[in-house]
Formats: sequence, structure tokens, C-alpha cells
Amino acid sequence: MRGRWYLILVACLLCTACFKDEPLNEECDIETAWLQLDNPEQMFYKESDMQITVPYQSNRIVFTVREGADVSALALYFTITPGASIEPASGSVHDFSRPVTYTVTSEDGEWQRVYTVSFRSQTKTLSDTVKMDFEHYRLSQDGYAVWYELSEDGEERPVWASGNAGFNMTGGASNPQEYPTAVLENGYNGAGLRLTTRSTGSLGAMVGKRLAAGNLFLGEFDLSQTLTASLKTTRFGIPFARKPVKVTGFYQYAPGATYTGPNGRPVPGRTDQGDIYAVFYRNTDAAGRRVTLYGDDVLTSPHVVAVARMTDMAPADYWTAFEMTFSYLGDVDPELLKENGYNFTIVFSSSFNGAMFEGAVGSTLLIDKVRIICETEE
Amino acid sequence: MKRHVIIAILLLTVALPRLRAAGSEWIYTGRLGFSVGGTAPMGMPATIRELNSFKLKASYSVGFDIERRLSGSWGLLTGLRAEGKDMDIDATVKSYFTTIVQGGQSLAGNFTGRVVTRVTQRMFTIPVNVTRRVSDRLTLQAGPYVSILTRAKFEGYVYDGYLRRNDPTGPKVIVGSDENTRGSYDFGDDMRRLQLGLNLGADWHLRKTWGCFANLAWGITGIHKRGFKAIEQTLYPVYGTVGIFGRIR
Repeated sequence: MRGRWYLILVACLLCTACFKDEPLNEECDIETAWLQLDNPEQMFYKESDMQITVPYQSNRIVFTVREGADVSALALYFTITPGASIEPASGSVHDFSRPVTYTVTSEDGEWQRVYTVSFRSQTKTLSDTVKMDFEHYRLSQDGYAVWYELSEDGEERPVWASGNAGFNMTGGASNPQEYPTAVLENGYNGAGLRLTTRSTGSLGAMVGKRLAAGNLFLGEFDLSQTLTASLKTTRFGIPFARKPVKVTGFYQYAPGATYTGPNGRPVPGRTDQGDIYAVFYRNTDAAGRRVTLYGDDVLTSPHVVAVARMTDMAPADYWTAFEMTFSYLGDVDPELLKENGYNFTIVFSSSFNGAMFEGAVGSTLLIDKVRIICETEE
Repeated sequence: MKRHVIIAILLLTVALPRLRAAGSEWIYTGRLGFSVGGTAPMGMPATIRELNSFKLKASYSVGFDIERRLSGSWGLLTGLRAEGKDMDIDATVKSYFTTIVQGGQSLAGNFTGRVVTRVTQRMFTIPVNVTRRVSDRLTLQAGPYVSILTRAKFEGYVYDGYLRRNDPTGPKVIVGSDENTRGSYDFGDDMRRLQLGLNLGADWHLRKTWGCFANLAWGITGIHKRGFKAIEQTLYPVYGTVGIFGRIR
């Protein structure tokens, strides 16, 4: 009887201690999507446009092609999570004149993600003035506002990005208006933008990121880097085929009560400042590789061609016009400009040092009716 | 809970007739030992891939037993022990459901990477054991115990990996290894203050009045309160104690 007791006990111990076989992968992401073409220049402005690294939170993959490019029979290739399967298959030929849907199923068969792939021709900006009125937005599935623009032929272009996806991780907002980047219902004209520096609470403090400035910029936000390399989350810029001269718009600004440093301690005598700047940069290097500027180099990279920045944003509780003129550090190559060789971004932030998690909680920047005035083409 | 009561009653029904059989004596024993062990799921889940480090955290156990000798070689024992059941572990996990909690905020999802868990438990334990003298030297004992916790901490952090929020298709956040890039958790408030378990022990008499002992305590209640869902499995304390005992009278 006693012997049996021991046996049961030893069996229990063994069951507890041994490792099971590795479970099958549960993830089902498209990590990269690319084409293999003999003459990529016929379809793309540059070879590096043939490959797209897909941010993990995104399920839309958009290739930018030359106007009039034939996309009716293309084979698209993917790298996906190891062990996962994709339907239709990687390398199968499809007509991309309409978006094509791909479904990725995880290795364990339990999870799926659906992606939409589309090809868009880069429509030429016809007018000399690019209007940004912040009228087009919708709620993401996580409940915060995301903005898009309509191209001149009425197509939706998701060019705007914000850090809302990062703030969403803290669970600090219960409705879209509590996010750092939110819709201002009654702007200067129709809807506008309301950027508010928010506390990220105890979860944010745990990782030394105590506040989140409201921000909106042209480009993409890569949530996956939020903890490890927050300055790399902001992928600034969209292709831009005009030479910008100046930026105009309207703002209101109210700094928050207490300016705090990255350690969360108040900095006496310091008042928060809002920030607006625009950068025009070359998007390929000498070897033809794609160049993207991030939070750590958007103003300092040697690829920057022109910068416009609001030098002093005085607090204002009424709509105040602003104007920033681009100062050019180098020449613009007109051929490269036509070939989509330049990127443009404009960045709005409710705290000047928000990227370093410094600022005053409550600082509020309202923005509306922004215009990018470009050089008239001969 | 009902099951535990039934086990206790069964043990008593075995022991009680012998208790009445008289001709018995009382024995008082002091015990000093140290415990090592872990707080682990019963049956290792496949999501736990590797133990990178398991720091032995020896906690002292001081106890006092009263044993009633019954007829033949049987006896019945109870007592009071002050003991600690600690753990400090570093494990590699794959798609392990967990929650990063700080203050009132939480972030839940499937984590792949490394997890450090530190458990501190201080408690008073009352065993109710049936004893059996096998020989002059060896006495075995087994029975249920109840522990009342005076201190309970369960904290740690996830690092060197990534979290998929809510489920494996959710937004991905890379988690680094330093304090500003990893995620901490603290589930001390969610721990039970009363634990039940079974223990099995052996006393080896080196001399007539003293000897050494070994004891294994196996928790049958999880260390967290019922309804606690922030980590994937229910964790049970399983600790072994070795030490010396001495007859007081």
C-alpha cells in the first residue's frame, strides 16, 4: 500500500516537471509582400516600392505604382508567420485592378487574419495648394479616430497616422475623445483636430513613458516598437511630387498646468509648447535603397532637403493664423521629383518634447484648415 | 472544498478507532527545517518551453507537533508550523496568456519571450497527519494541512519577447529587457490567504530523542483566488522540507 503511494507521488512529480512538445504557432501575419519583375521601372517609380514591410497592426497592403501601370495579372509573394498558410497562395497570379483579399491561417489552424492588397497609381497633385481640413475620419476597431484624405479622383488614402494605437495599449481611454489625438467637432471650418497631452497612467510610468502628446503626421505608426524604440514608431512621410514653399493654417494652444520631465517630476518655471513642422526629404539613397525618416532623424538626416517649423507658438484661445516657410538646404532635382523621389511630412504635436515623454498633461493644440502651398509648375 | 473536507473526515475515521484503543501516550516534537520548491501548474503547459533559472530560495520552517500514540504502530499528529514558500524563476514561454498589471491598469495578451516570477509566502500551517511507525528508526506521516498566509507576494516581469494584445492576431508590441522597455506585474492582492494541501513525511531517528525528517507538502488549492484569470494556469505550491527534529518530552 505504501509503495503505491510513492509511485503515485513520483508519477505526479514527473508529470509536473516534464516539458510538453512545443505548441504550433498561433500567429498568422503577413510580414512582407513583394513582386518579382524583370523591369520594375515600368510599373514602379523605384525598385524599392516593389517590397512592403507590413506593420503588425495593419491589414491593408497598398502598392504605389505609376499612373496607367498594368496590374491585371501580377504574382504577389509573401513572407508569413512560420508554419502558417496563405490563401490564395503566395506567387499565384491575380488581377489587382480591384483589391485582392488574402487569408492567412496560423500553423495550429485556430487563428486567421484577412488582408487586403491593392495597387494604387500615384495621382499627380494638380493644384498648387494641398488642402488638409481633417474632415475625413472614422473609428478604428479599437475605438480611436483615424484620418484619411481623398485623392482628386475620390479614392481614400490613409496617409495620416497618430500615436493613438500606443495610447490604446494603456487602456486609458474609454471613448474616442479621451485619446491624445481626437476629432474637434467644431473646428475653424467643419471638423478640426484636437491634440491633447494625456497621462499614460501607471502602465506608462512603469516603462518610463508617463505621458502621450497628441500628434498627427503624414506617414505610418509602427506600434510594435512602442516600448523598445519609441522614436522608431513614427515612420514619417508620404511620396510627394511637388516642391513645397510654405504651410499655412489656424491653431489654438493652451499649455497644461505642470511641465514634467521624463522622470515624471515637475520642472518649475517651464511652460509647455506645441509643435508644428514639415519636412521634405529624398526617399532613396545613392544605392537606390528606400529611405524613411523616423522620430530620431526626421530633422537631422542628410536626406532632408527642406524644413519648415513654427518657431514660437504663443498660447491662444481663439483661432490664430500661422504661416511657416520652407528653408531649403539643397536643390530639388525636377526629374527625381516627377519620379516620386521625395517624401513629405507634416507633424502636429501638443507637446514640443512629447517624443521624449516630456511636457504638461493637459496641453491642448487645436488645428484646422492647413494648406501646403507649392511652387507653381511652369 | 467539499473534497478536502471528505479527505479529512476519511483520515479521522481511520485514526479515531485506534485513538480509543488507549494504552497511548503523547509525544511533543520540535522541528527545524528549510523548504525548497515551486509554485507550478499541475502538468506543465506546452506554452512553457524552458526554465532558464530556478533560484533555490530556502525558507526556514519552524514547527511544533503534538502526537498521540495509538494502538499498534499508529498515531495521530497535529501542530503548528511557521514557514515560508518562496520561488524565484525565469522561464521561456511561447504564446503564454498573461497580463501586465500596474496600478489600476492592465494589458493582457499572448506573450512569447521570458518571464521572471518571484513568489514570497509566509504562513502558519496546521497539519493533521496520521503517523505510522515502520521501525524503531522510521516513522511515516501523511495527511491534510491548512495554511494561513501572513504575507503573500507574487510579482515579476516579462522581458525579451513580444506581446500580442488580447489574442495571437492582436497588435504586437516588442518587449525589451531593461526597466523602461519590459512589463511588470504584481498579483499579490489576488492571492488566497488560506491554502489547503496534503503532506507526506518521514522521520528518521538518529538517536532516541532526535533525528532528521523530510516532508513534502502538495497544495490542492491554487495560490490565487478563484476567478483569477490574469495568468493561464492555476498554480499550486509544491514544497519539500528537510530538517531535524527533537523530542521535547
